[in-house]
Amino acid sequence: MTDTQWPRYMVLHQAKEGAPHQHAGTVHAPDSEMALLNARDVFVRRPDCISLWVVRADAIFAKTQEELALNPGWLESISADGQPAEKYYFFAKLTQKAQFTYIGEIEAENPLHALKIGLQQYPDVKGLVWWVFPADAVLKSTPEDIEAMFAPAITKDFRDQTNFHTLSILRKLMHAKEEIHES
Amino acid sequence: MNPELQQALSNYLLAMADDELILGHRNSEWCGHAPIIEEDIAFANIALDEIGHAIIWYELLADLQSEEREAFANRMVYFRDAADFRCAQMVELPKGDWAFTMLRQYLFDQFEMLRLEKLAVSNYAPIAEAATKILKEERYHLRHTKAWVRRLGLGTAESHRRMQTALNQLWPYGQQLFEIPPAILLDVSDLQMVFQEQVVPYLHEADLNVPTQFGPLPQSREAHTEYLPLLLNDLQQVARLDMAAKW
Repeated sequence: MTDTQWPRYMVLHQAKEGAPHQHAGTVHAPDSEMALLNARDVFVRRPDCISLWVVRADAIFAKTQEELALNPGWLESISADGQPAEKYYFFAKLTQKAQFTYIGEIEAENPLHALKIGLQQYPDVKGLVWWVFPADAVLKSTPEDIEAMFAPAITKDFRDQTNFHTLSILRKLMHAKEEIHES
Repeated sequence: MNPELQQALSNYLLAMADDELILGHRNSEWCGHAPIIEEDIAFANIALDEIGHAIIWYELLADLQSEEREAFANRMVYFRDAADFRCAQMVELPKGDWAFTMLRQYLFDQFEMLRLEKLAVSNYAPIAEAATKILKEERYHLRHTKAWVRRLGLGTAESHRRMQTALNQLWPYGQQLFEIPPAILLDVSDLQMVFQEQVVPYLHEADLNVPTQFGPLPQSREAHTEYLPLLLNDLQQVARLDMAAKW
């Protein structure tokens, strides 16, 4: 049986000027343009986005801190082999709860090489998991997209759970029941 | 404002609002049924946007008639019968398959974009402001539906066949969008020509050809298909159970 799933794309989201791009989640899409549009609809209904990137999940090279610790000599064995360098993005997951966040850009020959340089270039960043992927694999929203893709969300009302009366009344009732139970 | 102008403007606002409301409701029928979860969210958002645009136009109409905005909008949506609606028949048609829905939305979005660009420079400030606001969202709708039309048109033999079938069916109805009540405020005479200049080549690139021969065109916005009363029954039945209820 053939796999009918579309490829997965990682969505990287920038909330405001100066903030790093962070992993927002995943969308399925047949191509990058559709992935970018899906990313907008799934992750940007709140007014906190100025830039979105999408990158195919299989273009991301990932290593955990444990994997690196298990095989300490492995990184040293990687060396440049004179191929033309290209730009890579370097992301890290800094705590178990945190999303992957943008650390920096790297010029490297391949993903392994990029990871090695990244770790050397950012020695103070304590990542639990690392991502590197070629900048070429990323489709980005443009500054011109802000007005149509992200700005309309600013004028919309958003409700959180407490705005829904049925839910808050049920909570109060349950809470009251527990209090009666306890007394 | 002289009565003649006010009447023309009222008719115009009502036609725009009804188009958006009925199309928005049709689109909402995909909620939970779109081909993939991402598109389900995306298209439900578009449905909500269209209904939001309808409310903007109903509220301008309320202002024009010195009515209270929310009560007026509710009355227009929930307590009018089919004969009092002024939507084009294109937006009443059942949602059909995904190809039909995407193509209808594309034709409508492209039409609406061009109309909003004209309205955004209207002499009537409330309309100009509303159009400027709606235009931002509409640019995104158009990008979304254009992407789908292209991919379905150039996709598989099956997706292409469904798109061409949808186009053959929708094209004649699309002509009715331009039969807007006469508005003294702005000149829309070249709208249909500009629309065709944009749409025909784009569809052609997606290997879709607009039909050159078709049956009778829908006539007036006072005439509706058999589908509108059914849609309104869905939309209105709960509100009509208790007309005085506060929601």
